[in-house]
Amino acid sequence: MPEAFDALACDLARFQARHVPGYGRLCRARGVDPGSLTRAGDAPAVPTDAFKVASVFAFPPSSAQVTFRTSGTTLGQRGEHRVRDVETYDRGAVAFARRTLTAGMTAGDAPLGVAVLGPSPERAPDSSLTHMLSEFASRLGDGAPPGDVFLLQDGVLDLGRLDERCARALAAGGPPMLVCGAAFAFVHFLEGLDDVVVRLPPGSRVMQTGGFKGRSREVDGETLRRELARVFAIPPSDVVGEYGMTELSSQFYEVERGLYQEPPWARVCAVDPQTLAPVPDGTEGIARVEDLLNVDSAFALQTADLVRIHAPADGQEGKGPRHFELLGRQPGATPRGCSIALDELLGSP
Amino acid sequence: MIRWTAAHRRDAVERLLKAARAVAARASDLTPSLMRVTGLTAPVVDLGFQRHLELHPTPTEMDALLAATAASVAPVVTVILSANVFVAPLRALALAWASAPKVVVRPSRRDPILAEALVAACGDASLTLAPGLDLGAISEGEVHAYGRDETLRTVRASLPPSVRLRGHGTGMGLAILGPEATPAHVAALADDVVPFDQRGCLSPRLVVAMGPVARAEALAEELHRALGERNLRWPRGLLEAGEQTEARRYLDAAAFAGVTFAGDGHAVGCAPAPLLMPPSGRHVHVVPAANLDEARALVAPLARYLVTVGGDDVDVTRQLAPPHARVAPLGALQRPPFDGPVDRR
Repeated sequence: MPEAFDALACDLARFQARHVPGYGRLCRARGVDPGSLTRAGDAPAVPTDAFKVASVFAFPPSSAQVTFRTSGTTLGQRGEHRVRDVETYDRGAVAFARRTLTAGMTAGDAPLGVAVLGPSPERAPDSSLTHMLSEFASRLGDGAPPGDVFLLQDGVLDLGRLDERCARALAAGGPPMLVCGAAFAFVHFLEGLDDVVVRLPPGSRVMQTGGFKGRSREVDGETLRRELARVFAIPPSDVVGEYGMTELSSQFYEVERGLYQEPPWARVCAVDPQTLAPVPDGTEGIARVEDLLNVDSAFALQTADLVRIHAPADGQEGKGPRHFELLGRQPGATPRGCSIALDELLGSP
Repeated sequence: MIRWTAAHRRDAVERLLKAARAVAARASDLTPSLMRVTGLTAPVVDLGFQRHLELHPTPTEMDALLAATAASVAPVVTVILSANVFVAPLRALALAWASAPKVVVRPSRRDPILAEALVAACGDASLTLAPGLDLGAISEGEVHAYGRDETLRTVRASLPPSVRLRGHGTGMGLAILGPEATPAHVAALADDVVPFDQRGCLSPRLVVAMGPVARAEALAEELHRALGERNLRWPRGLLEAGEQTEARRYLDAAAFAGVTFAGDGHAVGCAPAPLLMPPSGRHVHVVPAANLDEARALVAPLARYLVTVGGDDVDVTRQLAPPHARVAPLGALQRPPFDGPVDRR
């Protein structure tokens, strides 16, 4: 899809430069004329910080069907991502999940048992992750009642209900379950167990996303994978990472250990943190994400996440999906005086 | 045990100041090392020695410093230095020696230069260096620690409950430009940004400009001009890779949200609220506030990080400064009186 991708991306950039005032300003500040763009990579990327301080939306706020918000910083700021037509978001999320996350779990479109170690959409209406998982439950799931799907109630994980649900599914011979949640929720989950195993039906998978800090410890990704595989009695390869963020409409899934796959409508590029110029495949850089589903906001986003792009095999450039490794978050500048560092000032409260 | 009387304490501080004057007289000997560890250029190191090393406190300041430490006389004070501007060890050692007859100094690993020079120049067995000091070995007296909050927590966790910790963390300065602020006020603000390349806890990083957005933008542009002039005389040092990355992020976010003015060695952004925080390294963010209530709302979430607030109108500045923050006229934010700790939080 490379030619169509660039053409669509440049059309989006031109549209967003006209209708998202901040993007027009950013293009002018960077000396880029959106009218002359031919390559997606030449369009300036909007830093994720911009979502906290300005409107990144091509329409009046009242046109938003849903507004997703980031978690707050110590200064109380939350980024806002407004979506005019959430059906675009939902279709993309489900389509790519079917192709990667849940591929091969059941025959055809047979339903899965979906369980979420998180709150319901009613309790977290501005969480894009909760919304996506709710769509999974509704479009991929077996119709279980919300109380059996969303297992975080009033700040407490209902492990008993998860255990009952898994036991029922095992006794009935299926369907496989998809247990989803933020990585920190899984760390809390593990802290709450002793040597208990919550056996999932054969063919089940676990999807985790985000950082790995719990109440009492920080857990690295491989340790989390191993412990989840043990506790749920599934192969480690069935613990799947998801990379997404509030500011995006698309998601990326781990398809091999440590390697994430792009959907056809989104691209991750590694760029130099100082110059924002692309770095060669195989070199560490920060992730510039081009997401064609971000129609009404910012199609190109600049993050502070470290990535490494894996080059396609010889002769395969443009012919198959691209993959990247996630290497963590770029650390803030090493303080050289007593002026407060940005990562102290802007961290989570 | 030696009785550490008021006379002893005053004498100790005066001996330290005498040693500091001797060190400053040969500042050029220290400049290459200071440039290497701080990343500052030679003119900015010289600026630090000339204008920001407190060599001649007034009698009132001395009395205030001694009064600030009178209640905490201990047998020994251990000073843990880190994450400071290079002149900071003088005040830190003065406070410590005013508090105890014996002072042990663990210099910053990254920048031990002035601490080592002061101790050597004093040549007094009561003031010693212990670069490899193990915090767990401290069992008495007080500890005065400087650094990030994380460092201070580590220090606290290493000390027995009987040892009192006085911690001084990182922070920032804030400037208020009122409706009557003139180009001269903006120039004075630039004089506050330049020292130590804005890496001090007194360095102003944010400016609240009272009035409409257009006025804030005009003031931002004026500050950009003033910083550009100062860069010719006191060039900014190189930014480390992490600082360059943060600068890039800030500039793009500020350009998205408002306007930016970037020079060779500084940048000024201006955008309406919410606040956008710039990194240090001579980056300043200007935010308009239509009235005092709006200004208060902007300042409130930052209150615990503010060490100093400066402005062209002292009354307005006092109204907006948190109770613990020093209040200073523009041009003097980085030259607080030698009357106690810089950080009063």
